[in-house]
Amino acid sequence: MKVRQNGRGSNDAPHGCGNGRLSGRFLAKLVPYGEASDGMTVVPARSNEWVRPVTSHEPASAIIEIDRVSQVFQTSARRDHVALSDISLTIEEGAFVSILGPSGCGKSTLLYIVGGFVSPTNGTARMKGQAITGPGPDRGPVFQEFALFPWKTVLGNVMYGPRQQGVRAAEAEAQSRTLIEMVGLKGFENFYPKELSGGMKQRVALARTLAYHPEVLLMDEPFGALDAHTRTRLQNDLLNIWERDRKTVLFVTHSVDEAVFLSDKVVMMSKSPGRIREVIDIDLPRPRRRTELLLDPRYQKYVVDIERMFDDGDEAGPAL
Amino acid sequence: MMPPATLTRRAAPVLACIGLLAVWQVASLALKNDSFPTAIEAIRAIPDILGDKESLINILASLRRMAIGFGVAVLVSIPLGLLMGRSRGVAAFFNPLLMVIYPVPKAALMPIIMLWLGVGDITKTLVIFLGVSLPVIYHSFEGAKAVEEKMLWSGAAMGLSPAQRLLRIVLPAALPEILTGCRTGLVLALITMITSEMIARQSGAGNILFNALDMGQYDTVFAMIIIVGAMGICLDAIFERVRARLVRWSEPQFDMPLSFS
Ligand SMILES: Nc1ncnc2c1ncn2[C@@H]1O[C@H](COP(=O)(O)OP(=O)(O)OP(=O)(O)O)[C@@H](O)[C@H]1O
Ligand SMILES: [Mg+2]
Repeated sequence: MKVRQNGRGSNDAPHGCGNGRLSGRFLAKLVPYGEASDGMTVVPARSNEWVRPVTSHEPASAIIEIDRVSQVFQTSARRDHVALSDISLTIEEGAFVSILGPSGCGKSTLLYIVGGFVSPTNGTARMKGQAITGPGPDRGPVFQEFALFPWKTVLGNVMYGPRQQGVRAAEAEAQSRTLIEMVGLKGFENFYPKELSGGMKQRVALARTLAYHPEVLLMDEPFGALDAHTRTRLQNDLLNIWERDRKTVLFVTHSVDEAVFLSDKVVMMSKSPGRIREVIDIDLPRPRRRTELLLDPRYQKYVVDIERMFDDGDEAGPAL
Repeated sequence: MMPPATLTRRAAPVLACIGLLAVWQVASLALKNDSFPTAIEAIRAIPDILGDKESLINILASLRRMAIGFGVAVLVSIPLGLLMGRSRGVAAFFNPLLMVIYPVPKAALMPIIMLWLGVGDITKTLVIFLGVSLPVIYHSFEGAKAVEEKMLWSGAAMGLSPAQRLLRIVLPAALPEILTGCRTGLVLALITMITSEMIARQSGAGNILFNALDMGQYDTVFAMIIIVGAMGICLDAIFERVRARLVRWSEPQFDMPLSFS
């Protein structure tokens, strides 16, 4: 059986049934592997990108494994600062995982380790079973600081990745223009980064990373600087892309609301030293519509529960 | 019709020159000193110099040495500075060396270089090269060091190799700073050019100047000063045009010496 469905018609289907491709993955999580993978072949919508069916190696296989990772920084005061302590986390292929935690708890650092930009002091991170030793186009970062190329226009920035990957100029340009339009920057193609607002830069950074089709998106508070309206729109766009391409997303955010809305899994971290406190599975039907979710008691319960957990943590020992 | 503001801005350098010449004229008339000709006398001597084939050859020889010295210095210094900025090992090796060379007036090295290489073109070009190199290395180094890490990470994630990152990210990102160094280098090239010709007199614009001084032809001396000064101003203005065009994308910078545009 080939399950392939992007339809938006099954909004109100009972959880875990209606949406073929998604429920396939959810089932795989809930049911023993043999049953879930029974004849189930998940084919991504854009098969030229991602030809291999998920089941060809393992059903709901782990794409990223973080294995007892610690990160110690030598601070200027010559004191060791433990940014991450003994983090273990497995992220399944195609999952949308959010990392939630107070400022300075090591969310960015964890993302850098998965990106291969920082090598952990202890432990290993693996991508598809291979130890991560450096950056690669299979993992696309969207940095908190945007890090756009200031000497390139918006179009030049977005085209940079595809061009580097050997896509022909005309094709890369056409794709990039589509992406720029998607992030709502049509008409700004020839602007330089210094001529953009913070929120616009953030959207260019998102488009630039999406442009080279990384399998895993590593997003560090990508919607932090956006107004509520644009934020909602981009959240929806991101979910659409995710549902279409089945990318794995590791998403850092401060917003509980955003984490619950977008994710399959929310990883809650605590500070000093950065640890994983709790991993919460978000069992809400997809595709998700913000307006519907806001009224959904299950959604509300997730948000309230997570916020409570943070409050408890603060009372238990804020300056641990 | 240009708006008044633009007109004022364009006219300002011209007005400044006229003002300077006027002050000169008045001062020299007041002092009535033999060795201080009036501005008009000096300007009158200019066509004589520029009309003289011998002088012209001398000036062109100076410019050629300056162009070669400057060009080679830039071609060597930019890669070296960028490498130093991005590699601790390279920086650790070259930094002490440059720290020693930096404060030494390059012209002070000339006697030794003359001893080894003679008084010809090579010596003078080498001195110009040394004079230009240091500011260009320094600014390239600082520019490369300041390149935002996340920008390099973005490049690495797109699959750029270290060499490609140096060429396609560090170089453009550091370009405003590099060009600041080059602009300083250009002025220094002119200075070292004249200085070298003053020490190893044989040909060149400096040679004309100091020969005239020896022979008491003060109007020629001052005319040469005007010519050399005008050369510097023109070169700097042209360079500034090119620079502004190359780094239009960057924030405006205000740390330029001898801003003249
Ligand atoms: N290069 C570094 N050198 C020393 N300490 C560092 C370095 N990078 C991060 N840290 C420390 O590690 C901790 C985690 O930093 P990180 O940037 O990962 O936090 P974060 O969770 O992303 O915070 P925010 O939500 O504010 O972005 C902080 O306490 C920070 O001081
Ligand atoms: Mg961060």
